Amino acid sequence: MSTSVRALVNQPYKYGFVTDIPSESIGKGLNEEVIRQIWAKKGEPDFMLEFRLRAYRQWLKMSEPTWPNVSYPPIDYQNIVYYSAPKVKEKKKSLDEVDPVLLETFEKLGIPLSEQKRLANVAVDAIFDSVSVATTFREKLAKEGVIFCSMSEALREYPELVRKYLGSVVPIADNYYAALNSAVFSDGSFVYVPKGVRCPMELSTYFRINNGESGQFERTLIIADEGSYVSYLEGCTAPMFDTNQLHAAVVELIALDNAEIKYSTVQNWYAGDENGKGGIYNFVTKRGLCQGANSKISWTQVETGSAITWKYPSCVLVGENSVGEFYSVALTNNYQQADTGTKMIHVGRNTRSKIISKGISAGHSKNSYRGLVKIGPKAEGARNFSQCDSMLIGDQCSANTFPYIEVQNNTAKVEHEASTSKIGEEQLFYFQSRGIGMEDAVSMIISGFCREVFNQLPMEFAVEADRLLSLKLEGSVG
Amino acid sequence: MSATLPKPFAPESRLFLEHILGQIPERQDPYTTLRQQARAQLAELGIPTPREEDWKYSDLSPLLAHEFRLAVAADPALDAVTLEPWLWPETSHSRAVFVNGYFAPQLSDLSGLPTALQVIPLAQAPGELLQTLAKTDVFTALNTAHLGDGIQIGLQPSQEVPLPLHLLFITVAPEGEAVLAQPRCLLSLQAHSSLTLIEDHVSLGSGIPFGNAVTEIALAEGSRLHHVILQRQGSSAFHINKTAVRQSRDSHYRLQAIQWGSRFSRHNLEITQAGAQAHTQLQGLTLLKGSQHSDTHSRLVHQAPHGSSRQLHKCIVGEAAHAVFSGRILVSREAQLTDAAQTNRNLLLGPKARVDTQPQLEIFADNVKCAHGATVSQLEAEEIFYLQSRGIPQAEARQLLTCAFAAEVLQGIPLTQLLALAARQLAGIP
Repeated sequence: MSTSVRALVNQPYKYGFVTDIPSESIGKGLNEEVIRQIWAKKGEPDFMLEFRLRAYRQWLKMSEPTWPNVSYPPIDYQNIVYYSAPKVKEKKKSLDEVDPVLLETFEKLGIPLSEQKRLANVAVDAIFDSVSVATTFREKLAKEGVIFCSMSEALREYPELVRKYLGSVVPIADNYYAALNSAVFSDGSFVYVPKGVRCPMELSTYFRINNGESGQFERTLIIADEGSYVSYLEGCTAPMFDTNQLHAAVVELIALDNAEIKYSTVQNWYAGDENGKGGIYNFVTKRGLCQGANSKISWTQVETGSAITWKYPSCVLVGENSVGEFYSVALTNNYQQADTGTKMIHVGRNTRSKIISKGISAGHSKNSYRGLVKIGPKAEGARNFSQCDSMLIGDQCSANTFPYIEVQNNTAKVEHEASTSKIGEEQLFYFQSRGIGMEDAVSMIISGFCREVFNQLPMEFAVEADRLLSLKLEGSVG
Repeated sequence: MSATLPKPFAPESRLFLEHILGQIPERQDPYTTLRQQARAQLAELGIPTPREEDWKYSDLSPLLAHEFRLAVAADPALDAVTLEPWLWPETSHSRAVFVNGYFAPQLSDLSGLPTALQVIPLAQAPGELLQTLAKTDVFTALNTAHLGDGIQIGLQPSQEVPLPLHLLFITVAPEGEAVLAQPRCLLSLQAHSSLTLIEDHVSLGSGIPFGNAVTEIALAEGSRLHHVILQRQGSSAFHINKTAVRQSRDSHYRLQAIQWGSRFSRHNLEITQAGAQAHTQLQGLTLLKGSQHSDTHSRLVHQAPHGSSRQLHKCIVGEAAHAVFSGRILVSREAQLTDAAQTNRNLLLGPKARVDTQPQLEIFADNVKCAHGATVSQLEAEEIFYLQSRGIPQAEARQLLTCAFAAEVLQGIPLTQLLALAARQLAGIP
């Protein structure tokens, strides 16, 4: 049985093409001069130079974390291109002016940017290597007062807003990769939803790495003002290279009183070939701050790509009655390694959090859930529920669960449960006896295993995620 | 991991270890080589700080503040009367008493035991270590560097011992003194034999006792051990205890670890199921109050197929005490069809009480059933209300619920007075 299941999960990566487009980049390596160049190229306000240099100096003093349950050869940080952009003079007002090669690339990825074909009701910010190439539906959003643009534009047009919040959730010295990102980040998305506005459509960013030598360092900042609501989606792919590329992003979310942010990710970076050669190192810091009372931040992630994933989307629950949620599906295959989970930091009274994590490991992969639930001394009546389930396909992979629970208030209630199982022969036999083929049966069992998480995804993404998983599983049963 | 960093040791670590090692008398006996090896290991080890993952929640710096006198012989002044409060009626003819880690024949009574069970002080019959220790840590190495006395227990094949064997380890720390005792116990059960062992750690005197105990257990095919560990040292004590167990095919190990003593205690538990179809049952109960700190780190390795394990660890934490639990279950590639379950439940009674727990699963085999769960909460208001509605005063209702929470772990221990003793201890937690 297990051989056929193994065959099922070994599927080629279909986003692995390279777009041949002239690009403009700063040479390899990192020093203060490179940072000044990035700053100058992007025409950022003065405070950003100071911000970047401060982060760089901090980074020099720090060392790479060694605690994650992953292994990889040392990264040569001087052998990375820190800035790479497709050669276009400046950002276009209208999509008609965007290089057709780029439009075609995104079309191929299933993200149509042109007006006629675009997904109804989803605004897209498309990021190619380090820069944003197009943002759709901007005018429609502007009517509601919602700001949705690339980080570079935000720095030019709304410097005060950015200055106030940038680095307020993830401080520059938070960790090694966050410090590196703060020093060199090139672009990303910026969202501001004003008081009382319910964002009329899903906002989405699509990340694409194209240059084989460049790292991608994007920065996303989402601010939901009092009583507002926004749902944000993120997708990513990269071409196939034999070498590993570094992706070190930082995402900061801020929810003020009664605001709600829903952040969904479908991560499908190139994962390397079946021998573990190549692939993206996905070292990401994502954190949301529930600053206001009754605010809510919800993370949903479907992690299927990357050679190594190191990612812990977290919630800091400061506001009274604020809510944090984390829903995750992590699928690893071949030689992929994932060390992912969440942190729920309860600071305020009556804060609540919920964690649902599903890990599926196949091939020679390593899949670890690592999570922290911390109840501070002032978090009266805090409540947490965590559930972490793992599924193993084959006996060469591993599934690990490392939860950390720290409780310093006796009125808190924390529950954690985890289980590990496999696709039972009896379950498969049952399906087959009802005339359902092996392939469909496996796909249905996995789909059922992940249901709780997929239910959280916005419709458009739920379809994509389901397709992605079945794609990874689609295959060759006799 | 891309780089291995040097382990973070406390700066006073060297001084602390040198001070103790300096007190170990040099002599020639069957353990000389082992002691020298341990000394060599200690040259590279140090007292860990909270920066080390395994000691993240337990700070040893209060321990380093004391200069411990290493007990080098049993204190002769003790008599049976002083001992009285620590004895159990069930084991009046099956007890071995150790004072500061040294066997005290005048206080022991082994007359009720069958000849098939050998209980021999290490100083009299040179034994071999059982090679059960999975990894070297600083405190075990420190114990070995001082190896000379302790106890060796062996049970012949297919023998069952009707009486529980009571090992009473007393550390005597007179006023104003800090005393280190390092008991060592080696236990080996031969095929299909069965034993109940009570390992009991207590302290006397108003000084500062520091018990650093190591127990190594080897269970041969089909043998069964019911192991009870009681840790009821005085409130100024430090206690670090290592239990290492190696289980062969079809063996059965049950541990009930009950502790309420010491200002700082740490129990390191290492269990390896080396043979197929072994069963392990681990139960722990920690009762804390004041500013006590207690840490239980268990590591259960399933190395062979068809093994099963059940772990239940409960903590009741009052006032500003701090309980730590870290339980790791490792299922290796060969251990197909393992069935492992772990539960950690914590009751927080005091407003400043604190619990840190890490239930961990590491699984490399696909056809297994593994689950763990952890909860932290206070007493349920509804449950108290229910009892009150039946006419039971609130304080009594709370007491009833707390006792019920603890009782699950205490069941099956063959000491009739223990339940009452534990209940008294619970009543002392405000």
